[in-house]
Formats: sequence, structure tokens, C-alpha cells
Amino acid sequence: MGFFFFLFAIVAVAGAVGVVALRNPFYCALSLAVHLIALALLFLLLEAQFVAAAQVVVYAGAVVVLYVFVVVYVGGGSKPEPLWRASARQRGLAGLFGAAIFIELSIAILGTGLKALDGDGAKLGAGYGSPGQIGELLLIKHLLAFELASFLLLIAAVAAVALAGRRQGLEDDVFPDMEIVDVRRPAATGTMGEAVGGYGLLVPPTGSEPAPEPAEPDTAGGAPVGEAR
Amino acid sequence: MTHLVEVLATPLAVVGYAEPWWMAIAKSLVIFAVGLQLVPLVLLMERKLLGRFQNRFGPNRVGPFGLLTPIADIVKLLTKEGFRPRTSIGWLFALAPVLSIMSAVAVLAILPFGNVQDIFGTPTGLYGIDVSIGPLFVFAFGAIAFYGIMLGGWSSGSKYSFLGSMRAAAQLISYEAAQGMALIGVIITAQSMSLTEIVEAQAGMWYVVPQIFAFLIFMVASFAETNRPPFDLVEADAELVGGYMTEYGGGRFATYFFAEYLNIIVISGLTVTFFLGGWMLPFGIDAPGWVDPLVVIGKLMVFVFFFIWIRATLPRLRYDQLMSFGWKVLLPLATLNTLVTAIVVTV
Repeated sequence: MGFFFFLFAIVAVAGAVGVVALRNPFYCALSLAVHLIALALLFLLLEAQFVAAAQVVVYAGAVVVLYVFVVVYVGGGSKPEPLWRASARQRGLAGLFGAAIFIELSIAILGTGLKALDGDGAKLGAGYGSPGQIGELLLIKHLLAFELASFLLLIAAVAAVALAGRRQGLEDDVFPDMEIVDVRRPAATGTMGEAVGGYGLLVPPTGSEPAPEPAEPDTAGGAPVGEAR
Repeated sequence: MTHLVEVLATPLAVVGYAEPWWMAIAKSLVIFAVGLQLVPLVLLMERKLLGRFQNRFGPNRVGPFGLLTPIADIVKLLTKEGFRPRTSIGWLFALAPVLSIMSAVAVLAILPFGNVQDIFGTPTGLYGIDVSIGPLFVFAFGAIAFYGIMLGGWSSGSKYSFLGSMRAAAQLISYEAAQGMALIGVIITAQSMSLTEIVEAQAGMWYVVPQIFAFLIFMVASFAETNRPPFDLVEADAELVGGYMTEYGGGRFATYFFAEYLNIIVISGLTVTFFLGGWMLPFGIDAPGWVDPLVVIGKLMVFVFFFIWIRATLPRLRYDQLMSFGWKVLLPLATLNTLVTAIVVTV
């Protein structure tokens, strides 16, 4: 047991160091995934199977995937530009917070952690760490806290939808040198628009005329033009 | 040795029967061998059936009736030269298929092929391990399988692979939600997350009847999760050449390919476990214990046939249709199913 603990602990610490030390954001996200999976294995050693599985499903499976998604789309090239540079005050504050956390952890470890080393640990009841027991804890013993947390998540989800809903489709100036004009290719020439039921045709502007309004969908069966979506 | 096996098995095997270490090793070898033998069989079945669906013979040159075709395929792939694009990232490129097949094989471990039987006087569960977190175990390894696809596409250093892996990311997350939601109805009805207990709870009636909506949602989401047509946007050959595995060849491609078909087998096995009474025969027929694994494999093959049938029948969806179907149709339906099940079970 001790061997596995140290193995997973070293992997977890290495992953955590990788998150802050690596330069490429894609590798940072990957080492975060390694760190989270190592944590899940540590939970497994503590017989907390449900927490371990939830850790992998939620963090490695959803959260880090989202990070990876953003990183590769925004562009995690081999030499990423730093988004901002920390000012001297921020650096000082970071050092201060680091020292505070170190002192806090030291107090916790020296206070109670060292005493627990020689003991056998807390006694495990039957079915410890099983979904049934977790459910009992969450939905009976700590119901209020659980519901408050879920309300918080709900609020966050609604807020995300509200923020995303503010943007209605593409902006007009996505293609600054392109305009949507009311030109229709002859029917049965095998356009993509026919196949998928209507996309705007993009052609360079011809003159200084204002851009025409998007055409109404044609009832005669032709592909409606001008619906930029 | 004994100690090692105990340490590894203890956190997981709390619910099931813990066998002596030699039996644990023996049965894992058997499950591994049988499970992997199913893959070439499914490969051949797919090509033969697709041929029949398309009014042709299918492969019939190698061996009698073309039976040795998958062996020839595998030998061909494994003897090919290993290569990678110059723009790829070597170690990730090699690691990705390993992650893919590792997670597929891992889920095979919790597939129950039968209940506890006496084998040489030793009570043995006919499953790798019986975990108390059943479906979560599946989804946890599904999360790791995702990294196999994602890393494969990203590390190839090619645009087609990259687009394929990005599609995989969006698609797998979207449909995993609906798939998991659908299973909650089953878990509520069975009042357990252990796969053997879920099967035993279906003694009176298979869950395909009371949980018909969960079954349908689970099936549709499974097609998307295994990247099978009509949801094979991840490797849509017409648009993306081969998606995340465009740049793969030889043994590594074979690994991906193997993992894909193993996933189909595993997901069929899970469908059988969750909805079709696992190793139980219909109408309360009580078969001797050694029939159980055959029953499971038989039912499983019906679903594999269904997977192939759908591939031969339905065209591929458009990408935005796929996304809106997953989030706007499947997920609300699955949530509704969970809600109704919870109300019916408690009241």
C-alpha cells in the first residue's frame, strides 16, 4: 500500500508542477489531467471508489477536456505569447499568498497530521465509499449544503446561457471584404445550398451600392439565399 | 504476489465475491482472451453483412467463405512499416492508440458474464470484478478513451486529424451526458450501481420494458459514443479523410481499429447488462450455470448486428444536426425519463 501511495503521490506532484512549469498550454492541460488521475488513484487507495470515479469523470473527463478544447482552438503553438505580464505588486502579492498557504499547511501538518501517522486511521464502516453511503451523506446529512451548491451551479449555468445568448449569430463584419448579395445560381447546378437547404452566397462587393437585404425564403423551392448562419 | 493482487483488488471488489489470487488471474486471462477473440469475428461479420446489405458477397477469398479475412487484415497491418508525419509529436503519437485500447479493455473487466459459479470447488464470479460504482467505472474509462482520440488527432500535426479530434471532443462530451442520464433511470429502478445486482434485479422483468425510453436514448447515445454511423462525424471519410486516425498506419492504426470494434462489443455487452437481463434467459427458463456466458455473448451479438444494420441503412448526419440533437432532444428526454422514474419508484 505504501509503495502505491508514494508512486501516485509522486505522479500527482509531478503533474501539478508540470501545470505551472510547462510553457506550452496544451501540455499544461495534459499534465493537469495526469495530476487529476493520480489524485483519483489516491482516492482509490483510501477506498473512496465513488469519489475516485467522479474525480475522473468530472475533472479529467469534462473540465480538462474543456480546457484542452479552448487551448487548441485559441492556439497553443510551440511558442505561445504570454497574455499579460505580472507587475511588481502582483509578484509580491503572489509571494505573500504562497507563504501564507505554506504556513497554514505547516500548522495543519504539525498539529494533527503527524500524530495520525502512527495510528491506524479512522475506522471504516461496511460499504464505506460506496455510492449508497455518499448518497446518504449528500442527501440526508448535508442536504442544505448540497442544495445550496447545486443552486450555485444552476445560477452559473443560467448566467452562461444569458451571456452566450447576447450574441446573435455572426457579426456583420466577419468578412469585411465580402458582402451577401441577392444572387441566385441557376437551379439544379448542384450547389451546396441546394443540398443543405440554404446558405448565403458570398461574393466580393461590386460597387458602392449598399448591401441588399437578405432575401426572403423562396416558396417556389429554390434555396433561400442570404441567411448567414 | 498474493499481497499485490489483494491490494489492487481490495478498493474495487468490495461488493463482489473476492476469489483467491490465482483464480483472479486465471479468469482475467480467460475474459481477455475471449473478449479479444470476438473482435476479428465482429470485423468479419461486419464486412460480410455489409456486403449482403449492399447486394454483394463481401470478402470470400481468404479461407473457406472468407473466414480468414480478419486474420489476413491483421497480419497485413502488423507487418506494415511504422511511420509518422514529420510534424507529429512522437511520444504522444505513440501513446494515443495505447490509451484508446487500454480503456476499451478495462471496461471489459466489469462486464458480467454470469453469477458466482463453482469452478473446481472455488466460488468464482463470471466477471472480472464487480465494482460498486458500475456505470461510473465505464464513464471514467470513457473519459480516458477520449484522451486517446484527442491526443491522436492533435499529435498527428495534420489538419484533418485535428478537426477530427475536435469533433470527437464535442461529440463525446455531448452524448456522454445523455448516456449517463439514461442510465440513472436504470440505477434508480435497480437501486444499485453494481452490474451484477442490476442484472439480478431484472429477474421479474427486463428493464427494456419499464425503461424503454432509457433504452432508446442509451442506444442512440452509444452510437455516438462509439463513433459509429450515422454519428461517425469524428472520422467522416468524405470530409476528413479518416478523422483523428488519418495519419496512422500499420500497427498503430490496427490498435485504433481494434479499440473501436472492442468498444462496440463492450457497449453491446453493457446494453445487455442494463436492459436485457444480462445472463438470464427469457420466460424464467432456468439454465445451468455454464450456459450464462453463452447467453450474454448471444444477446451481445444481436446488438452488434444492430450496429452493423444501422451502418448499412442510415446516412451520416450533418454536424450541427448532431449537436442540436444531442443537447436539445436526447438530454431533455433523458432528464425527463429520470424524473418520471424517480417519481414512479418513490411513490
